[in-house]
Amino acid sequence: VTRLRVKPGESILETSKRTNSRQLPEEQPLLQAVLVADSFNRRFFPITKDQPRALLPLANVSMIDYTLEFLTSTGVQETFVFCCWMASKIKEHLRKSKWCRPTSPNVVHVITSDLYRSLGDVLRDVDAKALVRSDFLLVYGDVVSNIDISQALQEHKQRRNMDKNVSVMTMIFKESPPGHKTRCEDDDIIIAMDGKSKRILHYQRAQALKRLHFPMNIFHSGSDEFEIRFDLLDCHISICSPQVAELFTDNFDYQTKNDFVRGLLVNEEILGNQIHMHVTKDGYGARVSNLLMYDTVSSDTIRRWVYPITPEANFADQEGQSCTHSRHNVYRETGVSLGHGSQMEENVLIGRNTMIGANCTISNTVIGANCVIGDNVTLDRAYIWNRVHIADDVKVKQSVICDNVEVKHGVVLNEQCVLAYNVVVGPDITLPEGTVLSMHHPDEEDDEDDDEFLSDDNDVGYRKDKTKQKVFNPAEVGSEGKGYRWKTSSLEDTEEDELAECIWGLVLNADPESDSESEVSEGSHDLGSHPASPELDDVKVFQNEVHGTLQRGLDENISCDNLVLEINSLKYAYNISLKEVMQILIRVVLEFPFHQQGAQISTAQYSSHLLPLLKKWAPVFKNYVKRPQDQLDCLASMEEVFLERETHWAALVKVLMSMYQLEILEEEGIMHWFNQGSTTDKSQQLRRNQGLLKFIQWLQEAEESSEGDE
Amino acid sequence: MPGADKETDLSERIESFLSELKRCGSGAGSLRGSAETARETTALLRRITAQARWGNAGDLMEIIRKEGRRMTAAQPSETTVGNMVRRVLKIIREEYARSRGSTEEADQQESLHKLLTSGGSSEDNFRQHFAHLKANVIEAINELLTELEGTTDNISMQALEHIHSNEVIMTIGRSRTVEAFLKDAARKRKFHVMVAECAPFCQGHEMATSLSKEDIETTVIPDAAIFAVMSRVNKVIIGTQTVLANGGLRAVNGTHTLALAAKHHSTPLIVCAPMFKLSPQFPNEEDTFHKFVSPHEVLPFTEGEILSKVNAHGPVFDYVPPELITLFISNIGGNAPSYIYRLMSELYHPEDHEL
Repeated sequence: VTRLRVKPGESILETSKRTNSRQLPEEQPLLQAVLVADSFNRRFFPITKDQPRALLPLANVSMIDYTLEFLTSTGVQETFVFCCWMASKIKEHLRKSKWCRPTSPNVVHVITSDLYRSLGDVLRDVDAKALVRSDFLLVYGDVVSNIDISQALQEHKQRRNMDKNVSVMTMIFKESPPGHKTRCEDDDIIIAMDGKSKRILHYQRAQALKRLHFPMNIFHSGSDEFEIRFDLLDCHISICSPQVAELFTDNFDYQTKNDFVRGLLVNEEILGNQIHMHVTKDGYGARVSNLLMYDTVSSDTIRRWVYPITPEANFADQEGQSCTHSRHNVYRETGVSLGHGSQMEENVLIGRNTMIGANCTISNTVIGANCVIGDNVTLDRAYIWNRVHIADDVKVKQSVICDNVEVKHGVVLNEQCVLAYNVVVGPDITLPEGTVLSMHHPDEEDDEDDDEFLSDDNDVGYRKDKTKQKVFNPAEVGSEGKGYRWKTSSLEDTEEDELAECIWGLVLNADPESDSESEVSEGSHDLGSHPASPELDDVKVFQNEVHGTLQRGLDENISCDNLVLEINSLKYAYNISLKEVMQILIRVVLEFPFHQQGAQISTAQYSSHLLPLLKKWAPVFKNYVKRPQDQLDCLASMEEVFLERETHWAALVKVLMSMYQLEILEEEGIMHWFNQGSTTDKSQQLRRNQGLLKFIQWLQEAEESSEGDE
Repeated sequence: MPGADKETDLSERIESFLSELKRCGSGAGSLRGSAETARETTALLRRITAQARWGNAGDLMEIIRKEGRRMTAAQPSETTVGNMVRRVLKIIREEYARSRGSTEEADQQESLHKLLTSGGSSEDNFRQHFAHLKANVIEAINELLTELEGTTDNISMQALEHIHSNEVIMTIGRSRTVEAFLKDAARKRKFHVMVAECAPFCQGHEMATSLSKEDIETTVIPDAAIFAVMSRVNKVIIGTQTVLANGGLRAVNGTHTLALAAKHHSTPLIVCAPMFKLSPQFPNEEDTFHKFVSPHEVLPFTEGEILSKVNAHGPVFDYVPPELITLFISNIGGNAPSYIYRLMSELYHPEDHEL
């Protein structure tokens, strides 16, 4: 269930009204595009520590250039490039590129902010700045495509003209059956669609799910043609109406496109927005979402699937870059020298001024500019970037070697190795499959992006044990090597398996034995964003949300009425019963000082922190604690909390006292609770607490005296 | 400043032309016919002549050469662009020579001794300034444009001399020139056309549809049936992408097969090619000769698993050696392949062969 948080004072009806009011009919508006030059994840770490993903070279051209070329060739006249991570580098790159020349048919605006954390943030900013005026294209900065979208664009316009503003988005898909190498298992999706209108009825990421669920109502949609498709590759290109940006603003919990699509489909009946799709048969479109995709998209580019965007076309118009294409897809830029007996077998691209020694065998490989490669080197599916030195007798299989790396004599790189910038390896060392080496120590990872799945808490603890060793380990990088090993996908450590999968993506056609394993890691890194199994943790998530709400209430001094409103809306969002709300509220408030001050505070400190809070939030409690039964529940959960924290029992009486004084609890309730037969030893112990007994006694006396008064 | 305005306008036009060139031909042949490309190139060169800043013929030639290099680099397989650049350079040379008062003939027929000793010295002579040069060059380019407009008509006018009643004609793929040629003949004569479909792009299908609309009896045959059918064919009429300097062709895939079959059966092979397709390129320049497009048509992307195990290629052109060709029909009449070198020297200046 997608959350729909409503801000206090704003109802759903109002927001949807606003959506419709901003439409201005225009005759021939210029085509705009929003290019998100940030992935908002760390798939390419540690490579992206030095260079943003959009600038990584793919077949010796930065990925963002492919995306811009695609946009320009489809007739986009204005592009907004949004960058966050290393924005200045992207800006600098674009400033120098042909896109920023005055003659460029596509005007590129760069918008940077450190605050973007997701696609949602970007689109909210698009809305806030009112950048788009009509339908726009939404792509990531790592999409490689030559799809002609003019037909899809026309269909989209037609749909919008026919049915006023009902269709908000058209997603572009490419037909590619399961098992296709360009399909990335991370992105596997199942789509239920209306065969006639091409409307998407259900959208689900498959991700190794063994069982699929379809909501019944999609079968009642009144259409007689109904298709469920698993042969589609999401090109990550979508045609959006301006409403898309507005919808992101209205639903500030939408983070990704996935959230958006699912949210829209779930709320389709309420908001009346629809999503359509366009399936292209010819044309190529794929997103480089991990290194496995990097490998396939590179090889597809070299095999000319993306024609006319090919290496020799020099579409980026870089100075001095010219490339020749000869048979077996061998591309050579100027100044390439090849030693005696060396063979470029097939699908090879060699950058300018690269020197290759004698008796080398090179196949399915991209080599950047100004590299030096020694004698007797074997390269297969190697992606070697610029200024790399490779000595004699080196063997490389399916690996990525970044700028300025030095690979010394006799090194063997097995499959899926990554040597990040400036690493030195060797001599005479064999790196096992999936080795990732970087000049950055894994410990020095700054925690600014802590919300990402890669740095979970238990990992940090594990790393802290290992004291910051700044010495290069010769066993990892060779006697003259420089660099730290990140994680390997060695089989004995399942936790480390996860990173390798993240950077290379899931391996296609994985062995059946490894299936279960990949499933586990899938689930663990996708918690929260994975929509399939949130029920399990609803209560937990709700508790966190309540805690967050109260914290914010404290920080921003929000009135208790609004807090109640927010908690109520959370209650509906997570489907929590009233009783549970109260229990959780009590638990959160009682544990509040521990969260603020740490778990080690003394009882006196604890109560001095808690009591003002209780006073402040008394109206909130009063809202939930009304009937005598509520009081009992409230007390029961208080007992539960204190049972967990024996050392703070002394505070219980103070809490009870203050709740009594604030008229949240009444004496009958407290007496009833106290006299209730307790089941466990511990709770009996609790009731024998000195302070508590005194308090009860005092209560009884007070009662008697009041009775006496009467 | 209006001058600066003009220049940005000019470079904008050049850029858009370049990007269009780069993108054209995402399918089999070019999206537009090469006649259109030739006209557009010439019009752009006229604009450069009119708007760019130059003082004398030498400057202008330098500018045109520079832009010409960029244009040819943008789409090396589209030789028409380079040919038009060479034609314009030749025009400038002629106009300059005329302004100086020397005759074209003198320039054209230099003695062997002079050719050997002169070297690059003729360049220096272009430094002189003439007020009328610009107007003259533009006028000459306009003439060239008029000539380009009429090429297809000029070629199809000769159709009746070559196609006779009740003949069986074979062609391959789709050539606009051949299409016009056959349609022109069909107005007077009845004949039968066999169209080889030209897989995998199958432009032959379009050709057949277009011809049958004009009530020409048309049969589409698969490429594999070319040899089998050839014995019934009276004449083979094809178009081409480029006429090479040695009289050979760079034509659509499958043409070589067709030419060999025609040779075997001693069927005459006629090539309809306007003069602007004549290129000073020789077939040994491997890098720019080939053009490979997306292998999608050969092995669809939807094939799935097999794609990672095989290499698929999508070549577009064939080379046809000159000895297989009987006759060229161009807008200035019919010529044998052995005469091509002569036409070449008439159209282009030897120094312009390499831009």
